[in-house]
Amino acid sequence: MSKKTDRSGDLAIIAGLRTPFCKAGGAMQRASAGDLASFAIRELLDRVDIDRRAVDEVILGCAGADAREANVARVAALRAGLPEHTPAMTVMRNCASGMEAILAAQTKMRAGEGEVFVVGGAESMSNFPLLMGPALVKFFTRLGKARSLGQRVRALTSFRFGALRPRVAIVEGLTDPTTGLMMGETAELVARRFGIERAQMDQFALRSHERAAAAQQAEMFVDELTAFLPPDHRGAITADDGVRSNQTLEALAKLKPVFDRHNGDVTVGNSCQITDGAVALLCTTAKKAKALGLSPLAYVRGTSTAGLSPRVMGLGPVHATPGALQRAGIGFDDLDLVEINEAFAAQVLGCVRAFADDGYCRQQLGLSGAIGELDPHKLNVDGGAIALGHPIAATGARLVLTLARALRQRDQRYGLATLCIGGGQGQAIVLEAA
Amino acid sequence: MNGIEQDRAQTAAPATAPIGLPVEIGDDGIVTLRLGRSDERVVTITPERMSDLAAALDRIASDTRVRGVIVTGPNLPAEGPGMFCAGADIQLIDSIADAAAGEAAATRGRTLLARLQQLRVPVVAAIDGPCLGGGCELALFCDVRLATDEPGTQIGLPEVKLGILPGFGGTQTLPRLLGLPKALDLILTGRLLRGKQALRTGLVDRLVPRTKLLAAARAEVEKLAAKDRKRPARRLRGLAFWLSKTPLRWFAARAATQQLQRGPGRFYPAPHAALQSCLNAFTMPVEQGFAAEARQLGRLVVTPISKGLLRLFFLTERSKRLGKHDAARDLQRALVVGGGVMGAGIACELAQRGLAVRLCDLDLQALVRGKARLGKELDKRVRRKRLTAPEAMAIQDRLQASTEWGHLRDTDLWLEAVVEDLQVKRKLMGLAIERGLPEHAVLATNTSSLSVTAMAEGLPHPERVVGIHFFNPPEKMPLVEVIRGATTDDATVATACRLAVRMGKFPVVVGDAPGFLVNRCLAPYLNEAARLVLEGTAPEAVDKAMLDLGMPMGPCRLLDEVGFDVATKVSEVLQNGFPERMQPCELFAAMAGAGLLGQKTGGGIYGKDGKRPGPGRKVIAELRAAHGTPGREASRSEIVQRLIYPMVDEAYRCVDEGIVAHEDDVDLGLVMGIGFPPFTGGITRYARREGLSTIVHALDELARLHGPRFEVSDGMRRRATS
Repeated sequence: MSKKTDRSGDLAIIAGLRTPFCKAGGAMQRASAGDLASFAIRELLDRVDIDRRAVDEVILGCAGADAREANVARVAALRAGLPEHTPAMTVMRNCASGMEAILAAQTKMRAGEGEVFVVGGAESMSNFPLLMGPALVKFFTRLGKARSLGQRVRALTSFRFGALRPRVAIVEGLTDPTTGLMMGETAELVARRFGIERAQMDQFALRSHERAAAAQQAEMFVDELTAFLPPDHRGAITADDGVRSNQTLEALAKLKPVFDRHNGDVTVGNSCQITDGAVALLCTTAKKAKALGLSPLAYVRGTSTAGLSPRVMGLGPVHATPGALQRAGIGFDDLDLVEINEAFAAQVLGCVRAFADDGYCRQQLGLSGAIGELDPHKLNVDGGAIALGHPIAATGARLVLTLARALRQRDQRYGLATLCIGGGQGQAIVLEAA
Repeated sequence: MNGIEQDRAQTAAPATAPIGLPVEIGDDGIVTLRLGRSDERVVTITPERMSDLAAALDRIASDTRVRGVIVTGPNLPAEGPGMFCAGADIQLIDSIADAAAGEAAATRGRTLLARLQQLRVPVVAAIDGPCLGGGCELALFCDVRLATDEPGTQIGLPEVKLGILPGFGGTQTLPRLLGLPKALDLILTGRLLRGKQALRTGLVDRLVPRTKLLAAARAEVEKLAAKDRKRPARRLRGLAFWLSKTPLRWFAARAATQQLQRGPGRFYPAPHAALQSCLNAFTMPVEQGFAAEARQLGRLVVTPISKGLLRLFFLTERSKRLGKHDAARDLQRALVVGGGVMGAGIACELAQRGLAVRLCDLDLQALVRGKARLGKELDKRVRRKRLTAPEAMAIQDRLQASTEWGHLRDTDLWLEAVVEDLQVKRKLMGLAIERGLPEHAVLATNTSSLSVTAMAEGLPHPERVVGIHFFNPPEKMPLVEVIRGATTDDATVATACRLAVRMGKFPVVVGDAPGFLVNRCLAPYLNEAARLVLEGTAPEAVDKAMLDLGMPMGPCRLLDEVGFDVATKVSEVLQNGFPERMQPCELFAAMAGAGLLGQKTGGGIYGKDGKRPGPGRKVIAELRAAHGTPGREASRSEIVQRLIYPMVDEAYRCVDEGIVAHEDDVDLGLVMGIGFPPFTGGITRYARREGLSTIVHALDELARLHGPRFEVSDGMRRRATS
């Protein structure tokens, strides 16, 4: 089925590690994105038998970088003990930033700008700031410019308490500015488009927790996790803390919708959790891996990024997947495992419907028919962001790491990792286990 | 007499003075007086340099074109470590044998340096690098002091640490400049200041980046010369004024005196003399103050205490040179196995000295404690501005704590601090090699009692196995025993020494025998202290006798600190090694058996506060009762004889058996390792002063009374008779 294609330009994923994902404002709240990323990178490079000097570049995704570490990749690289001459950049494509880092590495590698990359993503949602509102900015600007006493007095008296109202970065960051919709509202639109009900969403959320809990129980995450020692020294963090092994449907059903209080179905229970975390992956080419004596975990066989209406951004995976499959030279049914990021249960279920929807695929994607039926047993086998959390830019890299690890553990061949992106995009990567 | 030839002045080439001090005069009439030749890396004040300086000053004073003088070190603005003047040559200080000669030397030096002040033109000191003792006093006679904020720039008067006082006018000029309280703080502690601290204190007037130092000094000269002034107006103000220039200075003096009388200060006369001399600065006419200072210097410099401290200084310098061996390598990445108190402490120290460290333990909580310990220490230093926040973060980042070893390909130091079990340690070393530890890496053990040779046996490349024995707590204890096993090679020993020096410790190379050096000499001391207590002497009396000798802590208190579990364990090893001399006192096992381990369990012989009697007294009473003999209080001299004399014998045995190469090693080791009084100059110096034959006689008598554990070694007996 697959044509004989030149695979020398494919990235090989050698290894990856991530910190546990912890609820924002919780155990990792004192760690910045740089703290998390540098820890993950240092640990990864200490464990993989490679000379740090062999790394050509560090590329990390970060959606809400702190002003103090705007190029967080560079900060993390230096702090992780990479040589000063190794460059580093931070990429940003909202929720896909961590996956974008892998695509960026692939692009650079194909352009001949390096062979060995440390990629990944880091996010400290605990540290998303409160910003000064425009009125307060104006006040300080005026005060700063005031020279004479009279000007100063006038500037000071122009203060109004209303100006203290902050802008909340995390809320603004999760709102699409072109449509004014919050991410949860776009999920409501997807649900309505495909007629997905509250009970189905809650059922899916429960499944996510159950699978994640089972995976924790079976120590499936051991191969991708490293214990994190937070900078406040309050004990070691060894596991994702959002997973609820005692989650029940009844409890989920009791939750009130948050985005559309009257008619909505999306609750905090069937949405992803807001968390902190970082992921680091080491990738290179098959040839270079051999030269370095490293055995890859998986190969990146196809990648794709696609745009769609920001109003239904949750369907992004449907738009990105065909391109990635085509580049990988495989069909939808060849996939053994699929990771779709669980931004919202509504949106994942929407994707599953859309994949199988003849009309949607014809109209929206210009395909000749439906992409295919997705076997639920292949989907998010060890749970997803509803249980594990979604530290925005870390997730894309986490999906790839989780998928590579799951393929290996289950002895499967092809996998798809894909996610929706605020602002109306989707990104997908097809992996082949090594 | 015109000493500066015209042509030289124009080309600004250094005029070669008779002995070599470069004096450059620019077209602007500003003289740059360098304190050393450009090829000199260390500048000390010697008679040659003094006469050279005198000649230079003659020429400057007689040349009417001179508008100002810049005094600086040999190298500026060249790259490399800075140097201003490291003070009087310490060998010369050591060679002064009578007080009158000392007084005369001080007067000569001070009179010469004071000529800088007497020049009619402004004099600016441009300081980069060490500016110590006499060098600092020289700078104090200048009108303006500029310094760099390079880490090598250290300014201060450390004389009291050598048992003397600043003799070139420092006790007069510094109090007048800074006021009594600040001057006392510097002079009585001998503390050195970095650039920023010196600026804050007022010891220097401005901080300037190194490359701009000479230009800035020139600008300062111009500023004063333009106003036709010699020096900037400077006056003591506020509290400094009241505590210096008025009788209220009595309060400052009293506070300083109280500080001196605390702790071992009472053994050192120098700070007291320095305090008195500093007071003279405000109560006597200038010349009289200087004269009194010189007299004090003459008196102090010939004391055995000063000679002892000087010897110790030479010993530390000698120890630091061990790291300069050609075969020594600089280590970059360390893997420390074992996250206990020692392992974590060593890992923290390594990270602070720039190594990338992986601290490994199966117990995550231990790792968290290790990181927290470092964090606490770093936070403290950031608060005190000893470190910047990014520096602290970098150190914290360099210590990666994990349950996994990771790969070892870049590791060049593998060090274990796990449980004292030979098999466990051997297994771990084997594992390290199996996991790909590079051949050039050092395999180190922090064992305090096991044989390094036995550990290395059977391993590939046993020549790189070495003991690096840190003392507890590693962040405080200045000694490191580098243990050379039978197969350890020179390069490995040298590399371990270099690491110790880099960590700010003093290495002593010791042979691989039970207890190595320090614990072996300490064992008879602690054993005998415990025996004395069981025979009826109060622990307080034993401790007091040792404190009066100058030990930092009495043996009973020390036992509480060490812990009776550790004492039992170590004494077992020593008993196996030296059964006839080192039978452990039954008190150790009894205390350990009763669960009274010492401070770590909330009290042993003493209570938790370390002063009041602790729960262990009951154990002592029971043991005393079991002996049945009536209690007997040992006299002070008996305590000294029974505790210290066997230690002397053991120290000489270590020399004779080749555990250490030289008596110097014993002296340094016991001062740094157990706090043997530094002013004695070391235990062998102490023994010589006591008289070796006296000690031998006393030990013979003790052996007759108490048995063979006091038996004198042949080597010691031979020394006593020769």
